[in-house]
Amino acid sequence: MRVAVVGSGLAGFTAYQSLRRILRPEEIAVFGTDDDPAATFRQRATAIRQREMRSESDGHCRPTSFPGLSVRSALGRRSPAPLIGSLLDRYHPTVEEFLAHVERLRERSGWERSLHPARIERIRAVDGGFELDAHGAFRHVLIATGHPGLHVPDELRLDPRAVHAYEPHDYASTVTVVGAGLAAATEWLNALAAGAEVVSVRRREPVRRPLNVPRELFSRRGLAAFHRLSAGERVERLRALLAPSYPPGRRWDEPLALAQMEDRFRIESSVNGTEQVICATGFRQGFRHDPLLARLVDENGLETVDGWIALAPDGSVPALSDGTRTLALGGVSAQWAFPAADTLAGAKYVAHGFLRRIESCRTR
Amino acid sequence: MSYTLRGRLESRLAALLPVVVAACVLAAAEHRWWPVEAAGLMVGVALALDVQAYHPLLRYQPGWAAVPLGLAELGIVLLLMRAAGVVAPLGQAIALFAAGWLAAQLLGHACFPLLRLGYAEDGGELGRFGAAAAISVGVVLAAAGATAYALRPPVVHLAAGVHQGPLVISRREVLVGEPGAVVRGGIVVRASGVTVKNVSVIGGANGITVEGVRRTVLDGVSVSGAKLDGIHVRLAGVTIKNCTIDMLGNELGQAIDISFNMNMGMSMVEGCTIVGGMQGITTHSSMTDIVHNTITRTTLQGISVTEMSMGMVMDNEIRDALGVGIYCNDRSMCMIERNTVLDTRADPSGDPSRRGIGVLSSFQSQADLWENQLGENPVAFSSVIDSEIRRDRDFSYR
Repeated sequence: MRVAVVGSGLAGFTAYQSLRRILRPEEIAVFGTDDDPAATFRQRATAIRQREMRSESDGHCRPTSFPGLSVRSALGRRSPAPLIGSLLDRYHPTVEEFLAHVERLRERSGWERSLHPARIERIRAVDGGFELDAHGAFRHVLIATGHPGLHVPDELRLDPRAVHAYEPHDYASTVTVVGAGLAAATEWLNALAAGAEVVSVRRREPVRRPLNVPRELFSRRGLAAFHRLSAGERVERLRALLAPSYPPGRRWDEPLALAQMEDRFRIESSVNGTEQVICATGFRQGFRHDPLLARLVDENGLETVDGWIALAPDGSVPALSDGTRTLALGGVSAQWAFPAADTLAGAKYVAHGFLRRIESCRTR
Repeated sequence: MSYTLRGRLESRLAALLPVVVAACVLAAAEHRWWPVEAAGLMVGVALALDVQAYHPLLRYQPGWAAVPLGLAELGIVLLLMRAAGVVAPLGQAIALFAAGWLAAQLLGHACFPLLRLGYAEDGGELGRFGAAAAISVGVVLAAAGATAYALRPPVVHLAAGVHQGPLVISRREVLVGEPGAVVRGGIVVRASGVTVKNVSVIGGANGITVEGVRRTVLDGVSVSGAKLDGIHVRLAGVTIKNCTIDMLGNELGQAIDISFNMNMGMSMVEGCTIVGGMQGITTHSSMTDIVHNTITRTTLQGISVTEMSMGMVMDNEIRDALGVGIYCNDRSMCMIERNTVLDTRADPSGDPSRRGIGVLSSFQSQADLWENQLGENPVAFSSVIDSEIRRDRDFSYR
C-alpha cells in the first residue's frame, strides 16, 4: 500500500472517497479508532440537538459536488422543493439525511476493508515516504486527526456548573451560554425551548453569515488572494474569518426577540449565578494540542505561524512533500491552506489536492 | 459559485460550444445564416458581460441568478440582432437561446462538476478541457464566418437610370440599386438567396415576382404601375421590408400577395407603405408576419389573412379602406395586435360583410385582438360563419 489516511473521522472519510476514484480499497490504509466516520459528529450534533446542517447541498463526502444532497432529497421526497431551495441557497440537509448519506457511502466504498483500527502516535519521514508507527512506510500520507479536544475557558474548568455544549446535557431553569457561534446560537434556542431563562455571555457580537466563511473563500477566487497574503497578514485574516458566526434569518432572530420581550434572554459580559453554564466555546486551537502534529513539527522542524502549520495552498507540508512523496494535512489543521478546512468543503478541497499530487507522482 | 474570471469564461465557452455547433447545423439545414449570426452574438454578449459586469460585480453568483441574467442577455442579444439587421424568426431565435441557456445550466450544475473533480473550488475553471472548448468555439465560429464569406453572394450594382425589364435574376446575388435606379417592366426572382435592395420598379405584369425559391429579401424596393400585383410571391419564402407600393388606379391587383408558402417557414412583411389596390397585403395558405406597415385606400381589404394562414398582424396602420380593414378568413388563425384601423368605409354594394368593418373574422377563423385602435369605422369588428373573435378583456374599442 502506498497511500495512508491518518484519522477516520469525516475529513479522513471524505479524503478516502476521493482516493477511491483511482485506488482500490486494498491500496489505501486508513488509521483510526472508530469505524463509523460520523461517530464524533453524531455525538456533537446530538449534544446540541442540531437538526439541520449549516452546509448546503454540496456539503457531503462524495468527491464531486454533483449530485448534491438536494438531488437525493428531492428524489426521496418526490418534490422539487429541495432543488429550488438549493438554487436559492436555502437548502440545508437535515442531520439525519447527512448521516444516512455517510452510512450509504461507507457501505459502498469499501471503507471497512481499508480501515486499520489504530491510533498513530508518530509519523517519521523516511526515504520515499513516511513511516507510521510500526505499520510500515507509505509514499503519500494525509493527516486528518480532527479537532484536538473541546475548549473550556480556564476560569470555568473547575466550575461544577459548567458543561461543554458538545457533551451530553439537559437544561436547568437558568442557563448561561458562553460563546457566540453556531453552537451557542443553537443552545440559546434549545434552552429557551426547554423553558429556561438564558444569559448569553460573549466577548464580541457574533458575525452573521450563511457559511463559516464568506462564500468566495470556498473557491479559487477568494483563495488566490488569501494565499498571496504574507504570514502575518494571513494570521490576521484567519483570526477575523474564524471569529464566531451563525447564519442570519428569522429562524434565529424571532425566538430570541420574543424571549427578550419576555425577559427570558439577555446578554451579559461575564458568567453570573445561573444554575448551569454551557460552554459553546468550540475547540482547542493550534497544532500544539495535537500530540501527533506537535511531534511531527518538532522532529522535522516544520515552519509554523502562530499555532498553524504553514502549508502549501493544496494542504501539503512543503518541507516533507516533493515529486515522489506527499504529506498533507486535512480537516481543521489545514486552515493555513483553506480557512474553512474544518467543513466538508474544506475536507474535499484538501482531498482533491492530495489526489492531484498522487496522480502526478512520478513513482506512484 | 464564486467564479474566477478564467473559470467564468471557460465555463461559459464550454457551455456555448454545443449551442454554436447546433447553430451551424441549423444554418446548414435551413440554408440561412441567422443561427450562426445569433450564436456569434450570444458568444460576444456573454463574454462582454462576463468580463465587464459579472466578474467585477458578482463575487458569488447564486444559482437563481441565472434566470434574471439569462433574461437580460436574451434581451440584449435580440436588440443587437435587430440593430445588426440579423433577420431571424423570433420564435426560433428565442428557442436557440433558451436551449443554450438550459444546456448551460445542465452543464454547469451537473456535467462540469462530474467532469472535473474540483470544479467548484477551482472557480469554474475546466483546465485543458476549458481551453480546448474555448479554442473550439473560436474555430467553429471562425470556420462558419469563413464559409459565409466564401459563399457570400456577388453584389450587383444597378446604376442610376432606367433599365428596361423584365429583369430576371436566375442566380444567388445581391442586387443593389444606386440612387435613381429604375427597372421598367418588372423583376422576376428565379433563384434562392436573392436580395434586391433600393430598386424602383415601374410597370410589369407584376412589379416583382418571386416564385418557387427561398430566402428572398426585398429591402427598400418601390413599385408602381404594376398591372396585376405589386409584389407577387408564390411557393416562396420572403422577407419584404421598407417597401413602397403605389397601386392607385389598379382596381384588381394586390400590393403584396404571398401565397402557398406554408412549407417555406415564416415570411415577413415589415415597414412597407402601400396605397391603393384591391388588397394591401394578402396571404393565402401562408405563415407570414405583417408588422409596422401603413396601408391606405384599398378597395377590398387593407390586410387579408386567408386560406388557413397563420401569422401576426401587428402595429400596422390601415386607413380609408373600403369594406374591411383587417380580414381573417377561411380557417385562418390571426394574432391582431396594436393595429390602428381608421375610417373604414362601407361598400356601396350593400354587402353586409363589407359595411365598413374594422376587423372581420370569417368562415371558421379565429382572430385574437389585443390593444388595437379601431376608430371611425361603421363596425369596429365582427365575426361571421362559425368564426371567433377573442378580445383582451380590459380594452375598449371605439
